[in-house]
Amino acid sequence: MKDLLKITVSLVAIFVAAGLIMGLTYKFTSPIKFQAEKKEKEEALKEMAPTATDPIKPSGKWSVHGKNFEYYEATASSKPVAFIASTAGKGYSSFIQMLVSLSPDLKISDVKVLSMNETPGLGDQVLEKSFLDQFKGKSLSQIVLIKGETKENIQAISGATISSRGVTNGIKDAVQTLVDKYGAGIKTASQEVTHEH
Amino acid sequence: MSTNSVNYGTIFKNGIFGENPVFRLALSLCPAVAVTSGVKNGFLMGVAVLFVMTMVNGTVSLLRNFINPKVRIPSYMFIIATWVTVTDQVMAATQRSVYKEMGLYIVLIVAFAIVLSRAEMFASKNKLLPSLVDGFAMGLGFLLALVVLGIFREFLGKGSLWGNQILPGKPVLIMIMPAGGFFAMGLVMGWLNWIDRKFFGGTGASSGGH
Repeated sequence: MKDLLKITVSLVAIFVAAGLIMGLTYKFTSPIKFQAEKKEKEEALKEMAPTATDPIKPSGKWSVHGKNFEYYEATASSKPVAFIASTAGKGYSSFIQMLVSLSPDLKISDVKVLSMNETPGLGDQVLEKSFLDQFKGKSLSQIVLIKGETKENIQAISGATISSRGVTNGIKDAVQTLVDKYGAGIKTASQEVTHEH
Repeated sequence: MSTNSVNYGTIFKNGIFGENPVFRLALSLCPAVAVTSGVKNGFLMGVAVLFVMTMVNGTVSLLRNFINPKVRIPSYMFIIATWVTVTDQVMAATQRSVYKEMGLYIVLIVAFAIVLSRAEMFASKNKLLPSLVDGFAMGLGFLLALVVLGIFREFLGKGSLWGNQILPGKPVLIMIMPAGGFFAMGLVMGWLNWIDRKFFGGTGASSGGH
């Protein structure tokens, strides 16, 4: 009985002390972490719309794959210079988180992968400039993944088709949302899009 | 090892060569395979482990007379978890760019067999300073092992080192896949055993872990 009490006291003391240390660390570090994350997000958005002069604020929410995302209207002296959306596509082993920006004529101006956890050496090739640069200047109807040479559409990376498709679908969903939101009056070719399987 | 005559040189040599966590004790192989697809990841993970091991060994050593032997494992686990959480949170707040690369791996250190094994084998029986040195030396041994594996795998698998392309293309792609991790580990382990037998008259690694 005495032994039991000793064990309990010793364990409880360690657990309480550990809990206090972790709690205190969290108290001091979480505000700094929160600020840093906020700043990083702002910087990422700023990179997507380098010509914007006004602060980029979220103008709405949309969702895909059961996750919520935001879209933004970047302006310079109150005139729109870019439409940005955060998005994600389902890759081979992870959700590939991205940012997409459209120029005012609704063509893709930039694509940025924020985070992903695809197979090293295969799926992570979607980060390569040569793949992502294909999206630049494309309009919604052109965002179709092709296995093989293409200039008009998006060429899948051989050995990383599923990751390529994840990126392409994520971007297409975001562009569709932005076009629906801001493309009033502009006839879109979304009905003509054929799905590649 | 007795507590009154501690040879720090021996502890160091032990951590890096004699009982190298990965190549000799064969402990914590899962993380060693997971993070060594590149030299950089291996190095960063090694630094985090080095820090956590040193701090855990120090704490366990300080509390060794207070911790009840019957509940020592949960006590050690809690000490490890505390240090890992503190490291994780401090890094998340102050070292953003490094944290982005390593954040995923830091919390895994809680379950590293090598950390718990050093707390049990060494720190619980030794004074503060030797325990700190042992944790540091073992951490350094782990770090070096990860870097060696990382060099081996990244160079063969991606043709690059620390992200800088050296060879065109990808010579042996499988080396950066998990299976290649085991190939690399086996080859390096065998090579080290050969050196040990040939030049130092050792017997090579004899035990296996997980």
